[in-house]
Amino acid sequence: MNCAECRDNLVACIEGLLGDAESLQCQAHLETCAACRAEYAGIAKLQQQLVERGHAAADVSLVEPVMRRVRAVHVEPEKDTIMSILVKHRWGLGLGATAGAVAVILTALFSTPKVQAAAAVVMTKGAQAVAKLTSIHLRGQVRTPPAENFGYPDPASDFVTIELWKQFEPDLKWRVEKPERIAVMDGQSTVLYVKPTNMGMKLPQPSSSAFDTDWLHKIANLSNTITKDRDNALAKGWKMNLAEEQGADGRTKSVVTIQAKSDLPDSDYLKNKQFDYSDTRRVYRFDAQTGLLEAVQIYLTRNTGDVLIFELNQIDYNQPIDPGVFRLELPANVNWYQEPQKLTDNEKYAAMNAQQAARALFEACGREDWTEAAKFFPMPIPYALRQFLGGCQIVSLGEPFTSQGAGPADQFVPYEIRLKNGGLHKLNLHLRKDQQTGRWFWEGGI
Amino acid sequence: MDLTDKEYVQRCRDGHPDDFRLLVHRYQGPLFSYLMGRLGNRSQAEEAAQESFVRAFRFLKKLRKPESFYSWLLGIAGRVAKEQFRSLKRRQQDCEVAETMMAEPADNHTEYPLDEAIAVLPETYRQVILLRYYEGLSCQQVAQRLDTPLGTVTKTLSRAYTLLRQELQARESADRTINHTEHP
Repeated sequence: MNCAECRDNLVACIEGLLGDAESLQCQAHLETCAACRAEYAGIAKLQQQLVERGHAAADVSLVEPVMRRVRAVHVEPEKDTIMSILVKHRWGLGLGATAGAVAVILTALFSTPKVQAAAAVVMTKGAQAVAKLTSIHLRGQVRTPPAENFGYPDPASDFVTIELWKQFEPDLKWRVEKPERIAVMDGQSTVLYVKPTNMGMKLPQPSSSAFDTDWLHKIANLSNTITKDRDNALAKGWKMNLAEEQGADGRTKSVVTIQAKSDLPDSDYLKNKQFDYSDTRRVYRFDAQTGLLEAVQIYLTRNTGDVLIFELNQIDYNQPIDPGVFRLELPANVNWYQEPQKLTDNEKYAAMNAQQAARALFEACGREDWTEAAKFFPMPIPYALRQFLGGCQIVSLGEPFTSQGAGPADQFVPYEIRLKNGGLHKLNLHLRKDQQTGRWFWEGGI
Repeated sequence: MDLTDKEYVQRCRDGHPDDFRLLVHRYQGPLFSYLMGRLGNRSQAEEAAQESFVRAFRFLKKLRKPESFYSWLLGIAGRVAKEQFRSLKRRQQDCEVAETMMAEPADNHTEYPLDEAIAVLPETYRQVILLRYYEGLSCQQVAQRLDTPLGTVTKTLSRAYTLLRQELQARESADRTINHTEHP
């Protein structure tokens, strides 16, 4: 290979795209030619700078936040008419605005059959006011880790923003987003993406809700939610109060408070760990005149005191939603969830009970034997998880238990492990037995 | 097939504002990286990048050379970074460390020659650099994305490297000349 041929092939050589013979020829020429070596070094140095810049920007995702602002720039505000206020009502009651509002309670009534009936009337009016939605956008805040399940309230966590865009017509599409977790249903399929672990999961069909977003969809289907909460309160005897207060906008608000009870017993592991399985106090604020819902607050009720875990502070009704909201841009190297396949020695793993599977999983991680550990994961093991579990040692494993809130194939194994950095980590490993392979797979709890 | 910057800009001007998302997608990586270099803080860089894109959209009709969209965007980002720095400095003016630890972003862009060099690359070459390094695609994936033979991709990359290195050398020479003139 001469200098001209070497330079022609230099990028392919650096990129590892040459065949063995050509690659050897290129390498041999580089060893003997100082000029071509200098050229090679120059390109390699430039590549290094480019790679560093690329890495710095690897997980930046500006499209949606920018487009939201761009839409605000582009769309001229419409003039309000009485009809448009009724049909396209929009609120922006941030936490600050709510806190700063001088809310004067005009009437506060205690929970009596008469009050229950009055509150039910307010709820009915609220349900009727939003009976025929074409789209809805909810923006609120929830106490939960940014990448955790959408339905996992954590009173100890800070608030993170949560948003839902839902188009009912002409066809159903939706998107739910937290800072580090996104689920999108584009009318054809449903995709979940978790940013820190770069993990993706795709359902090949549209779905009305998925990936633990059900509780938020229920709120978005306002008419149903209001009706169901009203019916549950009346049927199950949940306490329901009604108060009136003066809002910051000078209008009268009807405030309905419902003390909702989970169907799960207090002893169940999932009690108060999912919205649907939690005892909550739900506060609905309606405009007294239009009947439209303006804000929702949900408090987790515990013996130690109530904690605000979710607040809905912006509701946009029947606003056109940019179609781009329902497109999800993903990195090329996503760790996709895969349907588990049978192994050549599948029987060995299928014979394990949940505790044995937990032990085998943690021991493989302790040895950093990722091939073995991968047999317990339904997707490539995320890098962050490898970093976390690599080199760990089991301190203790408890007896597996089940939950009424989980499926029949789910078990939870209490564990305590010592991490490579010496720290202790104690939780319940959530495993699910796959019907096809008969093996236990990690579902959560690390 | 992706459109050129000029075509996307034209479509936005012609009443298709949603197409702006494709320009954001194309340049979010390099713009963010540039702002990280200037501001040194991830959340500030994200905020500045968002603001830069929004300003670019707002003033898109004033862009005289749509084919130079990225170069223009980088100029906007430079001003945004400067404003953001000043705003931060005002907030921290009582804090002594603000003076000593934070260096104000430079008026000229000579500290960020690679970003500038990428911005002035002809679009064909810039596109391959962005796909390869900011979207993290392999050469084969770039070829698939552009529906072009792999050999064309490696040759385009090779030419892009040459142009970038020439541009960097030219800027380095110019800097040396300026410094020599200013500090004899």
